[in-house]
Amino acid sequence: MSKIDEVAELVEKGRAKKVGAAVQEALDAGCDPNEILQKGMIDAMGVVGEKFKNNEIFVPEMLVAAKAMKMGVEVLKPHLASGATGALGKVIIATVAGDLHDIGKNLVAMMIESAGFTVIDLGVDVPIDKIIEAVNENPDVKIVALSALLTTTMPSLRDTVAALNGAPFRKNIKVMVGGAPITQEFADEIGADGYSEDAASAAVLAKKLVGAE
Amino acid sequence: MIVIGEKINGSIPAVAEAIAKRDSDFIKERAKIQAAAHADYIDCCASVPESEEVETLKWMIDCIQEVTDIPIAVDSPSPRVLKEVFPYCKKPGIINSVSGEGDKIDIIFPAIADTDWQVIALCSDDTGIPKTADDRLRVFHHIMDKAKEFGIKPSRIHIDPLIEMLCTSEDGIAMVEEVMHTIREEYPDIHITGAVSNISFNLPARKLVNIGFTVLAMKAGLDSAIFDPTNRDLLGVVYATEALLGNDDYCMEYIEGYRDGLYGKQPAKA
Repeated sequence: MSKIDEVAELVEKGRAKKVGAAVQEALDAGCDPNEILQKGMIDAMGVVGEKFKNNEIFVPEMLVAAKAMKMGVEVLKPHLASGATGALGKVIIATVAGDLHDIGKNLVAMMIESAGFTVIDLGVDVPIDKIIEAVNENPDVKIVALSALLTTTMPSLRDTVAALNGAPFRKNIKVMVGGAPITQEFADEIGADGYSEDAASAAVLAKKLVGAE
Repeated sequence: MIVIGEKINGSIPAVAEAIAKRDSDFIKERAKIQAAAHADYIDCCASVPESEEVETLKWMIDCIQEVTDIPIAVDSPSPRVLKEVFPYCKKPGIINSVSGEGDKIDIIFPAIADTDWQVIALCSDDTGIPKTADDRLRVFHHIMDKAKEFGIKPSRIHIDPLIEMLCTSEDGIAMVEEVMHTIREEYPDIHITGAVSNISFNLPARKLVNIGFTVLAMKAGLDSAIFDPTNRDLLGVVYATEALLGNDDYCMEYIEGYRDGLYGKQPAKA
């Protein structure tokens, strides 16, 4: 098994304590840091996301895999060209105003980060102007990802997307939405660019929206 | 939780019959299924007259060691038998058991002092099973003094506070819980063990009582137990309780046990 395959296996299995050493070994063996990142980690997280989508693994297994990847990235970072870990660009993520749910949003944030984005997490119950402000402060942001978990906060999601759609920067960003009661139809109706039903698909969608897949 | 599998014990009629007939396949099968259920130790008790016990235990140990590497808990009421038999095992296991009774400690502790063997010590003495928490703790302290004398670390000792049947208890398991709490406070590294199914003697639907007891006892400090690991519900409860007590990050052990088919849905028969 190649050193990079070893890293990938440890990431997939969520062996956070062992990944760092495996990454170091791969570096010592002369592997390309970018290849370790892409094949050993990002692709491995893709496999994890796929398994989660197919109900082959449980949420905590996805969490530990992402945690393992993080540990690996720590070791890898000094060897990467600056910005390589977030090479796909910035994503702003938030749960909309009135909604306090963060587990699903955090999972999505983690999976998107693992896919190669830099994630700016604004937290839960985030008012519209705070989201607009965040985009203005980060003119290079590529995607705004919004979550609503309750049927009662769906109108808040609608208002937030409407505000983004009316903003001058709208043509520079993509808007994706998700959450238990949200559907593709609702996403289309409120004018979002994309919808996904789970964290793994969200990472795939984000890549698609920036033309990386 | 350290699981000591109880299925190879001559006090179980089917096992007694297998021992009498020297049916090695029967013993091996019981060792195999306990190994598959991730038992940490396999208890081995002959339950035959003392004159035949050494030879019987050696035959049983051979059977077990032929099919699994899991260490053995050598189980006999006789310290002389234990002392003679334990060196016969390939790997260090557990001596089951000593107590404050007679010369058990004086025979066993020096014999295992310079080994990696562990030992189960019961909180009973020549007066029998003490009725109060204070008296059980008195026996416990005597055992620990002796252990110190022979340089046996607390982490090698499994203290059995003695689990008695619930149906005749006046305070449920309050007294045993008190004993467990005190032991755990005084010796954070010691193991606290017990024969789980004792709790449900003379009650119907014993499984439910065993499960309820196990949860409460784990909360009180039980971290080792003698039970049937092929009892899927009980084993699953043990894994779940470890997670509930915060001993299982991200529930990974619990998920792994499920994946290995230890509990939950029956694995599909090939």
